[in-house]
Amino acid sequence: MVLEKVLTAGIGEVDLCDIAVYRSRGGYVQWRRAVTELTPAAVVVAALKSGLRGRGGAGFPTGRKWEFLPEDGRPRYLVCNCDEAEPGTFKDHELLEMTPHQVLEGMLIGAYAIRSHHAFIYIRGEFKRGYEIFMRALEEARELGFVGQRLFGTDYSLEVTVHRGAGAYICGEETALLNSLEGKRGEPRLKPPFPAVRGLYGQPTVVNNVETLGYLPHILERGAEWFASVGTPKSTGYKVLSVSGHVQRPGNYEIPLGLPMRTIIDEIAGGLRPGRKFMAVQPGGGSSACLFEEHLDLGYDYESLAAAGTMLGSGAMVVFDDTTDFVKAAHSLVRFFAHESCGQCTPCREGGHWLEMTLERILHGEGLASDIDMLLALSAQMTGINLCPLGDSIEPFLASVLKRFEPQFRAYLRKPQVAFAR
Amino acid sequence: MPDQKTVSLTIDGVVVTVPDGTLLVEAAKRIQRDIPVYCYHEKLGPAGLCRICLVEIEKMSKLQIACNTLVTEGMVVRTLSDRALDGRRAVLEFLLANHPLDCPICDKGGECDLQDYAVAYGSGSSRLVEPKGRKPKAIDLGPTIVLDDERCIVCQRCSRFDDLITREQSLVVKERGERDVIATATDAPYVSNFSGNVTELCPVGALTSKTYRFKSRPWDLQRTATTCTQCSVGCALNVDVRHEAILRTMSDPEDPVSDGWLCDRGRYNIAYLDDERRLTSPLLRDGENWTQIGWDDAITLWAKVLRTHPPSAHGVIGGGRLLNEEAYLLSFVFRALGTRNIDWRTGRQFETTAGSFEGTLADLERAQLILVLGVPPSQTAPILDLRIRKAVGRFGARLISVGPLAAGSFVPQTRVRSVTEIPPAAFDVRRIAVVYDGISRDLLAEANAMLRPLQAHGTQIFGFVAGEQANARGAEVLGLLPRDGGLDTRGIFSAAVGGGVISTLACFGADPLLRHPDRILVERALQSFDFTVVSELFLTPTAQRAHLVLPARSAFEKTGSTTNLAGTLREVRAATAAPVGTLSDGEMLVALAAALGIEIPSDPEISRRVREMIGVPLRGGEELSFSGRAPTPREGFELVVAEHPFAGGGTSLHDARVSILRPHPQVGIAPASAQAAGVADGDIVDLTSGDRFLRDLRVRVDEDVAEGLVVVTAGLPQAPANALPATGRVLLKNIRSVREVVASGGVR
Amino acid sequence: MSAGPRSERDFAAVLEQVRPEAERLIAQYPVKRSALLPILHAFQNVEGWVSPEALATTARMLDEPLSIVESTATFYTLFFRKPIGRYLLQPCRGIACIIDGAEETMRHFRESLGVAHLETTSDGVFSYEEVECLAACDRAPCMQVNLEFVYNLTPEKIDMMLAEMRAGRFSVRPIPQNTLPGKTWHVEHAPSARSSGAQNVVDADSPGGIGDRSGAEMLKRLVNGPRLLPSDERALRDGKTLLEELERGSS
Repeated sequence: MVLEKVLTAGIGEVDLCDIAVYRSRGGYVQWRRAVTELTPAAVVVAALKSGLRGRGGAGFPTGRKWEFLPEDGRPRYLVCNCDEAEPGTFKDHELLEMTPHQVLEGMLIGAYAIRSHHAFIYIRGEFKRGYEIFMRALEEARELGFVGQRLFGTDYSLEVTVHRGAGAYICGEETALLNSLEGKRGEPRLKPPFPAVRGLYGQPTVVNNVETLGYLPHILERGAEWFASVGTPKSTGYKVLSVSGHVQRPGNYEIPLGLPMRTIIDEIAGGLRPGRKFMAVQPGGGSSACLFEEHLDLGYDYESLAAAGTMLGSGAMVVFDDTTDFVKAAHSLVRFFAHESCGQCTPCREGGHWLEMTLERILHGEGLASDIDMLLALSAQMTGINLCPLGDSIEPFLASVLKRFEPQFRAYLRKPQVAFAR
Repeated sequence: MPDQKTVSLTIDGVVVTVPDGTLLVEAAKRIQRDIPVYCYHEKLGPAGLCRICLVEIEKMSKLQIACNTLVTEGMVVRTLSDRALDGRRAVLEFLLANHPLDCPICDKGGECDLQDYAVAYGSGSSRLVEPKGRKPKAIDLGPTIVLDDERCIVCQRCSRFDDLITREQSLVVKERGERDVIATATDAPYVSNFSGNVTELCPVGALTSKTYRFKSRPWDLQRTATTCTQCSVGCALNVDVRHEAILRTMSDPEDPVSDGWLCDRGRYNIAYLDDERRLTSPLLRDGENWTQIGWDDAITLWAKVLRTHPPSAHGVIGGGRLLNEEAYLLSFVFRALGTRNIDWRTGRQFETTAGSFEGTLADLERAQLILVLGVPPSQTAPILDLRIRKAVGRFGARLISVGPLAAGSFVPQTRVRSVTEIPPAAFDVRRIAVVYDGISRDLLAEANAMLRPLQAHGTQIFGFVAGEQANARGAEVLGLLPRDGGLDTRGIFSAAVGGGVISTLACFGADPLLRHPDRILVERALQSFDFTVVSELFLTPTAQRAHLVLPARSAFEKTGSTTNLAGTLREVRAATAAPVGTLSDGEMLVALAAALGIEIPSDPEISRRVREMIGVPLRGGEELSFSGRAPTPREGFELVVAEHPFAGGGTSLHDARVSILRPHPQVGIAPASAQAAGVADGDIVDLTSGDRFLRDLRVRVDEDVAEGLVVVTAGLPQAPANALPATGRVLLKNIRSVREVVASGGVR
Repeated sequence: MSAGPRSERDFAAVLEQVRPEAERLIAQYPVKRSALLPILHAFQNVEGWVSPEALATTARMLDEPLSIVESTATFYTLFFRKPIGRYLLQPCRGIACIIDGAEETMRHFRESLGVAHLETTSDGVFSYEEVECLAACDRAPCMQVNLEFVYNLTPEKIDMMLAEMRAGRFSVRPIPQNTLPGKTWHVEHAPSARSSGAQNVVDADSPGGIGDRSGAEMLKRLVNGPRLLPSDERALRDGKTLLEELERGSS
């Protein structure tokens, strides 16, 4: 199946890190056009019309998010969220390292749309190489006058600061990211107030994902209508999908939203390894519930997945075949969320650790029959009562595989002791 | 505001109307429906961490936290629905999962929110199979506080208090997730004038006071509401007593004066009551020794001395420690006798008002500009200092400290040496507060010149004196001043030394040998008096040189009132019985009056007169003659004497539990001045001025000290700052490093 | 073995190297404190870890108390608060790697190095940490060596890589090491002021000391004291038992 590439065009074919190569393919043309020909409001309208939704996980319409900023004359900030760490997701990592200029151009256009004069990109601490690549790209762009004072002869100035994290998944949550960017502990903030009103340094702020911003130059170039015509009515446009796990060709694939999952797994990602049987797929990153054989004809879009009780999330598909030990898989994910809990909220801090310990005990053959119910009860009772979504992220996967593959869990439980002979 | 918008909502079926902008948790209190909270605190605001305050709100799919939900019109809330209770039970199960459940040995037992809510809403048993998490226990967090990380539920009330209220930021959260702990910077103890408050804020037994550890159960304590008399702020104080011993003191959250907080001196300096050195019998000098005598003999002897000398030969000093009623009686009895040499000004402080400016502590909080004149109040009136931090930190006031020392308030401030250096634009505000040390008259004069015209043009000016003596203001109002031609304190001492015009001294609640600016003069005067009577709790330096020492009662052991720095009358109530053999100063004066045949008003009449006199505005900037000040020589460093809450020769010296907080004799000096003088931090030096000296002070290089001056601590018996001339210049002599001192066998 | 303190001159050289970078970093933010993480990164680049001197210097550069800098630094796993090995081996233990053979490769690491999670080899060459999803799930199992990616791990690939590192031929720049690392760089709980408050307490049994026995003293007074109220009888009974236990415990 041949897919049209938008964001991922040229990756693996040419060196897009070179600004000359990027420009030869139309790079920064839309940035110049935006500043010299379009009003910020026109960019917002384009985003609204395109139906572009946040590609980081929440799926909120990008243009609407920009519109929330109050018109009160305070400085505004745009922050690009490149703290990708959702288990199974590796699209921003690749976009950053392979097409840094496209990421930058998207940031610049996004900042212009909200009339910001200072944009930040928060890069995950582990992406040391990506950070260096982006820094080089920024310098190149600065030298050519794409970033800085009085751009393209207009009055508009825009500064860009690159900020590197230091190992904390929670900083992908936008208010935790802002705290981290302010030099604080990466703890999510109490909302309200929302970042649109009180964000970075207390000023109106928009946080957008790398991929979301990356689509902006293309929407300006080819028109909002083009983007809106792709995908389903509510899930428009393309999506870079990270496929991993038990498929023959794991990798990032750019798909029009709404493509059936069966097509994605069997045709795009090369299907399962020979002789293996499909068991489950986690469709939207570590926080999403698993789907099974009966769901594979669903389209891969926000609405269909939500209707099936899971979510599109960050757009990361992990495919599990019949070699999977779901107890170990669940343990890995629970341990992840426990390890990454910031510790502020009681249910997340205590519940995650408790579940991790319980699963570890089960894996060590010390599980009790009552543990199965307890895993379900505890994960359910820690959900929906936390300050940020992290504490709610354990239950979907754990409950979905525990219900579906309960025998796998039971097989680990402690064998009953031999009773006294009568 | 009369036309403030209100909102009506329904909580558990009850309609309640509250101002718009009210938090749900506060709205619920209106109908006595207290929603459980841990991290939320009225004075700290919502944090949204503990999640115990979950409630069900109609039209919202998830449970909401009541602490961060603003009420809206028509909101329907259920705090006790099955869903809300399920959420609460879940949070409690998680909170208790790693809690050690060591209630039987926990000081908080009986007044612990975790215990209370677990009983009220918890499930009664735990499903936890794993061993509980281990964290450090009994961490010695600093001189006053012990931390138990296992009991801690990381509600962050303490660290938020140290950030939002004190602005000191020494308590923080370290680590992440289930490993997170409350901590200080590596190797840095938690030292603060307000540390004790975190033990009250802590909803569990994680933070406890060293002075109260393993002492009692809350239900065994008897509580008395009174007023702290350790300084001039006069904070409301709840005193908890068991078996006639004061075991702890607690703040009053509703108190408008203290804003609900206590400083550590007020909170912890209580064990002196039970010190074995406490005087319990009148002592009569017998050459080098003391003889214990009975009260009848003591009063008779005293009355006889007073009668055998002319009234003009008596000097009376003191009053700052006395209650209002006692100050009134002291003045009444001696004036009835014909004595006019009466003065409360026994130390360096000689004023109790900042010119004609007055105000309440709430006014201070609302000021847009705060001028601190002279020695800052951070050590003399810590709770006032906290109000300044609030005004600056929370409400954005500008703080300017005028004089030799920075206000040291953990909030942004401008430092100048003179009011004239302040840019005029700074005064372009509607509300200005002046905080004056009652000593630096020149600075007050400068401020007056600047502020009086502004006041005439409608600027509100509030004035406060944070001085050395707790009830100075009461003493002044109630007549302990040499108004009608009598001698002031220095005059009394000088007259004793010079021609012997003054031959007897009555010293009530004052220690001039340690506190009067001229120690040499006091020393010589005390040798000259025919008869000195001192009323004290302990054998203070002055008492040691008296002829008759009368064992007094503390403010915890008597009832009456005191006047705080804002001129407010505050009730003092006896919280515990006094040791047998002691009398309150008031009782002594009643006995004396009887022996002298002076008729005194009845108790209710005294109380009525006191209230009447305290209610009258003060003298409004009247120039008082005061001979305590000397011209300033030119050479060397200017000497500044600063207070410390735990210095002094009285209560803190006689309280073993706060001994760790007592300051060591030291001299503070600015970095450049230290370099000029050739001293380094930690060196040992002597200060000299002419033939007077102060020995063996440790150098503290301190950026809060202005260049060209040195700061020493007042009231240390081992290094009395008043041994040096009051406002003289001093030289640093005999500079030694610590190593040299140790090698030569220690200090002299 | 653990590291001894470095001389002040050593850190002065570090500071000289970091200061211009730190000043540049501070200048790029509207608020100074934002430069906290970047400055710590800069120190770690030079020293290989975030030393106490680096934390204190960062606090001074930002006009923040040390407590704040430590509180922030301890939140992030990529700041090493103790020295680590020349090569930091961080295999991914994320879900995609776990179902694709990471268990085997991680076991192989542990066995060939003789270390566990969060430990450093005794020669100070390798530090080993199993980390959360590294965002390279299509090339699982993956890992980072000194934060550079290595993909599609197999036991053979690991053997080759370790051999190259031991021989000093591996392509990734080793981590600078000014202090020999200990067995682990993991800090179980942040050391707070465990004893500094008690420094002035000469006698451990005196009130306020860490060995505060004033509770026990109180009991002793209650038991032996002259003023005994009838209501104290039960306290007396319990107190005697408790006192005996305390005394047994302390002897």
